[in-house]
Parts: sequence; C-alpha cells; structure tokens
Amino acid sequence: MVTNTKEVKGKDICVQRVSPEEKRELAYKDDVCVGCGICAKICPTEAIELGEIGAIERTGVDESKISIDEAKCVLCGMCSSACPVDALDLKLDEKSIKDMAEYPQLIKSAEISDDLCIYCKACETACPRDAITIARILPERSKLVTGEIEIDKDTCISCGICEEMCPADAIEMEHHEPTSSDPTVSSDITVNKDKCVYCLICRKSCPVDAIKAVCRSCSYGDYDLNPEDSETTGSSFIDEEACVNCGWCQEICPVDAATVEKAFEGELILNQEKCEACGACVDICPCNVLSFPEEEFGVQGDKLQADERFCIYCGACENVCPVEAIEVKRTAVKHTPTKSKSWEKQLSELKT
Amino acid sequence: MPKHIVSGLKYLTAVELIREGLSQKEVAKILEMDRSTVSHYLNGRNLSWNSIEVAEIITKFCPKDFLTLTYALLNDSEKTRVIVKTCSKKSYEASVEESCIGCGLCVDTCLLNAIVLDDLKARIDSDWCNGCNMCRDVCPTDSIKILEVNNGY
Amino acid sequence: MVELKVDQDKCLGCGNCVVACPVNGSISPEVAGGHGSKTEDTIMMVENGLIKLFNPQKCTKCGTCPLFCPTDAIFLE
Repeated sequence: MVTNTKEVKGKDICVQRVSPEEKRELAYKDDVCVGCGICAKICPTEAIELGEIGAIERTGVDESKISIDEAKCVLCGMCSSACPVDALDLKLDEKSIKDMAEYPQLIKSAEISDDLCIYCKACETACPRDAITIARILPERSKLVTGEIEIDKDTCISCGICEEMCPADAIEMEHHEPTSSDPTVSSDITVNKDKCVYCLICRKSCPVDAIKAVCRSCSYGDYDLNPEDSETTGSSFIDEEACVNCGWCQEICPVDAATVEKAFEGELILNQEKCEACGACVDICPCNVLSFPEEEFGVQGDKLQADERFCIYCGACENVCPVEAIEVKRTAVKHTPTKSKSWEKQLSELKT
Repeated sequence: MPKHIVSGLKYLTAVELIREGLSQKEVAKILEMDRSTVSHYLNGRNLSWNSIEVAEIITKFCPKDFLTLTYALLNDSEKTRVIVKTCSKKSYEASVEESCIGCGLCVDTCLLNAIVLDDLKARIDSDWCNGCNMCRDVCPTDSIKILEVNNGY
Repeated sequence: MVELKVDQDKCLGCGNCVVACPVNGSISPEVAGGHGSKTEDTIMMVENGLIKLFNPQKCTKCGTCPLFCPTDAIFLE
C-alpha cells in the first residue's frame, strides 16, 4: 500500500509518495508563501489549512503559514499550479509540474527589458518584495570632464579660497605657519586631476586670477563628447521566487522597461464602516497595496486606502481582517489550457 | 508452503495458456521457467495435486484477495499480471469520470499496472483489470467505475 | 493551534489591548474612547485592574493586541 511521508524542515514542508511507478514530492517554502490561502481553497481533498497568518506575521508565533495533512493529501498538484507566488511545487520524478505542458500554469510574469532599462533603480527601490537587483556600471567620470585647471603658482597668494570652494575636494594646499626663514602660509598647492570636474568655481572665486581653465575639447567650452563615454550600462535581475507580479516596477519605471502580467483580475472592496484600523491587512499585503495615509502632517490616519494598480487579488488581506472589512473579488483566473475538466473547474472556482 | 502454491498457480496458468493455443516454449518464457519444467507440469509431474487444489481455491477468491495474495506470494508484478489475468474467469469494464484530478494514486495502487495518466486523467486498460477495485477505493474523487462484464461464465 | 492568552502577573491594567482590538471595536464601539465596554461581549476587558479574557473564542488571531501591550501580558501562542 502506498502511503505518504511528511518531512518538516523549519517552516518548510515536504510531502512525498514513492511507488515503483513514480516519486511524487510536494514542497512548500514558507518564506515564499504570502498567506493567501488559495492552496487551501483549491485542494480537492481539504488537506491544506491556512494558519493564523495575522499572528504569524505580526507576533512571535513560530509556525508555518499553512499546514498540510499528509493523510489527506493525494499529491495531485492543484495547489502547486494555483499558488500565485510559487510557494508550492509538485515534482514528479524530480521534474516540476510547472515545466509540464499538460498541467495548467497561471499566466503571470515580470520582465525588465535590458534594451530599454536605463538602470535608474526606481524599481529596485519600489519593489515590495526586494526581488529586483539592478547592477549598473557608471561612466568613467574623467572621460566626461572636458578640461583641466592650471594654477599659476607665482600669482597665487595661498589664500585657500579655492580649496574651500572646490565642491570635489580636488585642490589641496600644504598649509604651514610662516617663519622668518620661510615667510609664507603654504608650501604648495596641488590639483587632483582624478577629482577635478572642471566646474571652474575655483577660477571664478580666485581673488588674484591665478587659475587658468584649459578646455580639452574646444576653445569655447562647447562639448564634443563621445556618447559611449557617458552611457551607464548594467543588468537587471528579478528573483522569481520573491517576485509576486504586483506591478510596482511597471508603474514606477520611467521608460516602460518593466512589464508585468498578472494571473488574476478582480476587485478589492473596502468597507470603511467596518474597518477598525488594526493594520493587519497592511502588514500582510505582499504588494504594498494598502495603507492608512496621513490625514495631516505627522499624524497617522485611520482611513484604509488601497491602490489597486498593485493588487494581485490574492486575498491575504481578506483572510487576515478580523472584522470582515475587506472583500477580494476574483473575476478572472488566467491559466494555460488544460484538457482536464476537473482542473479547469477547480481553477475557475477560484473566481468569487 | 508458499512455493508449492506458486507452483500450483503456475500450473493452472500454463494449462490455460496452452489451451489458448500458446506453445510450451512461449509459456515457459512468460512464466520464466524451463521448458522442461513446463512439460513436467503439464504432465502432472513434480507437483502435488494438493497444491493445484489450493491454487484453484485461491483463483476463486474475490478478485482483490486473489490478486493481493498472488502478489504477496510472487512479489513480482509481471508474473502476477499473467497469472491473475489468465486464471480470472471474469472480464471487467473500467471507466474514469471527468472528475478525476490526475493524482496518480490509482496508478501507484494498481498491482496489474493497468492504469496510466493521460493529460491529468487516469486511463484504465480494461483488458488488464481484474476487478479488484483497489483503485476505486483509493480514488479521492470517486471517479472510477468498474463493472463486471457478463461474458457467459 | 494558536490561542490568545494573558499573563495577569505581567499586566499593568492599561487597557491598550482592549482599545486596540478590532473585534472589540466592532462589538462595542465605545471602547475606542478608552471608556471600557458596556457589554461583556467583548473579547477582553480590564477587571479590577487586570486584563481578563471574556470571549477568547471570538479572537481571529489578527495579532493587533500584542503590538500594543507594553509588557507582553497578552499574546498569541
């Protein structure tokens, strides 16, 4: 008789069924899970139960967000297919069903086009899941500096004004107390050419006109730069495990380099009358959709607001709300086609 | 004496296969025996009549008991398949309803390897089904129906 | 099974949890003003200077009260 085994590692869970025919293994990663409970909703054998996600997320309760009853689980993989954040994965003989055409897959994606990206890092900063890394290589500063300065040491009176004015700390004087044998206040003045950006503040502020500008490009200060020298290059990386396809990157990108496709369509309905402003929904939302905006400067407001542009309609907020003030409606569940009528039915029942 | 019972079951299977028109050589190959042993079996030698009687009783058990006992005696799915299917007198029509979720529990359970998954749906080869109903019993969605076919026996 | 628990030895009787609890607020809106509840239907109340659970079964384990308790006297475990 084939029976399941369960292994719990920290908060991660693994349920296995091994037979001479095949090995089925359902792996759950708690740090990826957002507490939406879709797995529990779709499970045809009621083997999955959503935990007390509010207590887990906000207090010291040290439990997994879901529990799996290995006696009820039949390792069909519906939870794995329906999980909007890929916290569950069913593998058949080590191959994930997410890579198998016969299994329906949620249609969701997040991409950053390296052709369009200007590496401004807005997405990296905005991403609520810290899933984006933008690695950029800045242009070499010296190649963008169009000239250099020369100090006429005979004219220079060692006043130190240029040293104090220089925004790049490129001018350094060797100050000393004057003595009868050396009645000067400085022994030398040097310009660090790596630091100087040729802004000419020093020349403009020099009281004795001891500083001369030498333009490398032209005599009129008109720049003739190689465009390649001014280009910032780089690469973008989205951690697919952390990404929940919320759309923040797409919204914030100034050059439309980020594109996000969401698996669910729907509506987020807030009931302000019922809301007690406990903030559990704000804490659980993986997409930074919900907030209590300040009503006046410095005062935390108590009117719940949602920005649905970033909502993935996962329903975690509805699960955690203690007073039923939030309703998440799912009107569409987009997935790749399946020939199985039962899978089609279970997936479409995620609509509310 | 499990060994003797196995011999009895092999005897019954050999007799049936010969009746179906197979040669002694083919039977020997299927049952993984020497051809001479098959010949001895068919002549009633090297075999106590008692083990044949016991084997006959076993074949008349309910399909599940016949199958699981045979599997336990042989511990070999291929030979179990041949013996059980050859000695079973009844035919079955197995069908899977659309409510099947493709969990594969029936595939893993079927001792006769009669079930495969096809596009997230179990497909049962009725030719190999012996009506043990073990797949039906494990199915979490009650999607399997097995009917005995009245074929005159 | 996560449960709402109190440790009366730690409780200062401040009533923060009573006010913060969103379920209390929906059962008895006047607790928001810190005046205490008019009914005994709320989850918890301060009685004789100590917190007491009246209806722990109504708790949804949202995790709000522990965030406001200054002494960890109310917690989910």
